[in-house]
Amino acid sequence: MSHLKAAASRTLQLAFVLWAVVTMLFLMFRLMPGNPLAAYIDPTFTEEQQQALMAQFGLNEPLWKQYLIYLGNLLQGELGQSFRYREPVAERIMTLLPNTLILTFSSLIIAYAFGIIAGAWLAWRRGALVEKTAIPLVLTTRAMPEFWLGMVLLAIFSFWLGWFPAGGTRPAGANYDSLFALYTSSDFLTYLALPALTLAIYSQGLPLLLMRSNMLDVMKEDFVTMARIKGLSNWTVVVRHAARNALLPVMTSFAIAVGYQLQGNVVVETVFSWPGLGRELVNAVSNSDYPLAQGAFLMIAVVVILMNLIADLLYALLDPRVSHA
Amino acid sequence: MITRYKTGLASALLALVVASPTLAGDPIRSIELFTRPQASQPQEFQSAQLIAQEWRKLGLDVEVKVMPWEQMADVVWYQRDKWDVTAWQMVGRPERSDPDEIVYNLFHSTTAEKGYNFIGYTNPEYDAVVEAQRVEIDPDKRKELIHKAQEILAADQPNMMLVHPKSTFAFDKTVWKPDSVVNQSGIGIRNTWTFMSLEPQGEQKDIIVNSGDNVQGINPLWISGGVDSWIFELVYDRLARVGPDGLPKPWAAESIEFSDDKTVVVKLRSGMEWHDGKPVTAEDVKFSYEAVVTGEAPMYAPFASNIETVEISDDSTLVFKLKNPSASFVTSSLAKINLIPKHVWEPIIEDLKTKETNAESIQEDVPIGSGPFKFERWLTNEEIVLSANKDHFNAPNADRWILRIVPNVEAALGMLRSGEINFMGEFTGDPQVLLDAAEQDGDLEVVSTIDIGFRYIAFNARRAPFDDPAFRNALSRAVDRRLIVKAAFKGFAEASNSVVSPALGFWHDASVVEDLTTGADLAKKILEDAGYTLEDGKLHYPGDGKEELAE
Repeated sequence: MSHLKAAASRTLQLAFVLWAVVTMLFLMFRLMPGNPLAAYIDPTFTEEQQQALMAQFGLNEPLWKQYLIYLGNLLQGELGQSFRYREPVAERIMTLLPNTLILTFSSLIIAYAFGIIAGAWLAWRRGALVEKTAIPLVLTTRAMPEFWLGMVLLAIFSFWLGWFPAGGTRPAGANYDSLFALYTSSDFLTYLALPALTLAIYSQGLPLLLMRSNMLDVMKEDFVTMARIKGLSNWTVVVRHAARNALLPVMTSFAIAVGYQLQGNVVVETVFSWPGLGRELVNAVSNSDYPLAQGAFLMIAVVVILMNLIADLLYALLDPRVSHA
Repeated sequence: MITRYKTGLASALLALVVASPTLAGDPIRSIELFTRPQASQPQEFQSAQLIAQEWRKLGLDVEVKVMPWEQMADVVWYQRDKWDVTAWQMVGRPERSDPDEIVYNLFHSTTAEKGYNFIGYTNPEYDAVVEAQRVEIDPDKRKELIHKAQEILAADQPNMMLVHPKSTFAFDKTVWKPDSVVNQSGIGIRNTWTFMSLEPQGEQKDIIVNSGDNVQGINPLWISGGVDSWIFELVYDRLARVGPDGLPKPWAAESIEFSDDKTVVVKLRSGMEWHDGKPVTAEDVKFSYEAVVTGEAPMYAPFASNIETVEISDDSTLVFKLKNPSASFVTSSLAKINLIPKHVWEPIIEDLKTKETNAESIQEDVPIGSGPFKFERWLTNEEIVLSANKDHFNAPNADRWILRIVPNVEAALGMLRSGEINFMGEFTGDPQVLLDAAEQDGDLEVVSTIDIGFRYIAFNARRAPFDDPAFRNALSRAVDRRLIVKAAFKGFAEASNSVVSPALGFWHDASVVEDLTTGADLAKKILEDAGYTLEDGKLHYPGDGKEELAE
């Protein structure tokens, strides 16, 4: 019974958060100064054409009515038509989403694999020279702006050494039968390498520092001391006992990190000409393409909200002491 | 009416109350000069700062107001009596090789209320001249009228013309033979002619071009973004094309002749085929011209609205009857409207007539044209692939034309050097950086040419003192254009005083540019002669002129 109630209240919370996001998105773009039609001003543009365009995009209706139409459409899964591209927003987002997801997840997996191992190791080597030099280094990578890091990697590995191409997801004119064929090709890996590395360097700090401090806490706990007293090997103590427990919060932070990463994509996708959702978002905002910008923001918000939910559920699953009550 | 009467009354009362003993008018209010931000438009921003500095020397209080394009355009375009001065720009396009669009739409009084004459310039003499050039078929007589129009503008200074920027492009000369690159007057080397004639030096036979902007659509009935036009000019043919010299020449037409000033006879080239293998017929051509005025292609409609009828007199001859004589007809209609296959578009247009949306929202999976390149593939925001149409009457020498979308301009330069692209179709960075890179690299050739487009400062003639030609003249002559060229454009521009670019050699009136003398003293003299006075370093209206717009 309590489970059902908890699930219902969770769903309600989610619905409320989504509604708030949707409303904020609607207002944000409409309260921005400027007229979206300004992007299309041209000497050959007549008054009738302007009116027709306004009507076509429903901009001639009063604000409250635009809002109701917008909500009604959303409930039917209709994200509207992009001003700029004159095509359905949903279609455009679905085309670009896979590129963003593969970049996000591949970089996060690298960042977390590295961060967890390095974090555990640094905790083990606490006080050693390597730890003293590594920690400031990690903090530095956290502080580096992503576009700067991206440009530096481009300058070194692409322009100077010529190891990796500078932008896109595939060689010019190369054709693949499907997205799967593209993503599993070796060409794709060379194109993915630099943007994924940029994001990974930026993101590894969180799991690394989290893992290290968790490990330090866990290592002080009685069961670790107990394990040592039992005479278990260092390896067994660190990996089987301490690390397993320290891993819990790190794993849930992965879900939340996906949300953060999507923000980072905005910059990295522009630097590396990556055809993803982040770059589209910037474009849509700078071109006052409300429907597309709203759609892209909404998509990102939905992913973040979903990931938060997964984080909650995962936590409860991994550690039964956490309940939904 | 009532409000005008009220303000009139109010200012009369005000005049009674504050009648001053001196003869001078009110001090001129603080003036706002609009510009876009430095981050997006560094040259415009820099120009505005320099101009404000010069104007302050005349005793004006000038405030440079920085705002993003949407906001600026919203005020300038939709609230026409709410601004004083703004920086503005016109971009060059092949169809602007005919001066009509610029000299007419920007300054004719009928476009003042809602159209492109957003500055509210009205001059009956000017109206008459630009109307006359529109219907003058004889090029030499028309040239005189175009020159006359430029002279009137130079005298009135409705706008303060600044510069015609240079467009700078580059290509890899180890991939493409340099003498196969064509410079189209006023457009630069990135043009349809170049893409058709580029000759490979070796193995690489794909033209790989970059663009910073995404492609909006490949649609022959929608005038969308600038990049899109690079593509549809290659995929679709037109009856005429604007040639490298800026003048139109027959293209899909074998010949184009005026049999009288309202009748144009077009002989169609034989043996042309659509990319799906069907022949291009006179029916298709007729359909192309009729489709744009169905209401489903509103942006192209103005270019065909002067056509009364299109008749097919035999399999390869069409007769265009015009409503009014039109001198720019070949450039603005025949070289503008894309030829589209009737068998593809007729069903689409019929279907659209029952719907709210128009042809602009149609995106064919495979656009079918008859042009020198065929559509192959479009990957959203990443690349467009076209392949050479070897059966075309002017078949390209290259194998493919590939457009890569590269929003990062530094990366685009790196790609040009590494070979990821081999033709730089757009470079928004500092041209000097490109020249330096070319020098270091050795494989690159950079070409800079004068643009048809221009940058200017628009005066709002609806608001005093900008309604006074003498005042506008003084402001314009206060600024040495060489300063703008050097300091704001780093030399990559040419000083201007005419909306008709020197790139359009036939139409450009060089004397108006040469006659533009400048200097602070000259400007002060003009103001003084017109009755403006300086008091305590502040400029005042002449006579008993009142400031009615002060806040």
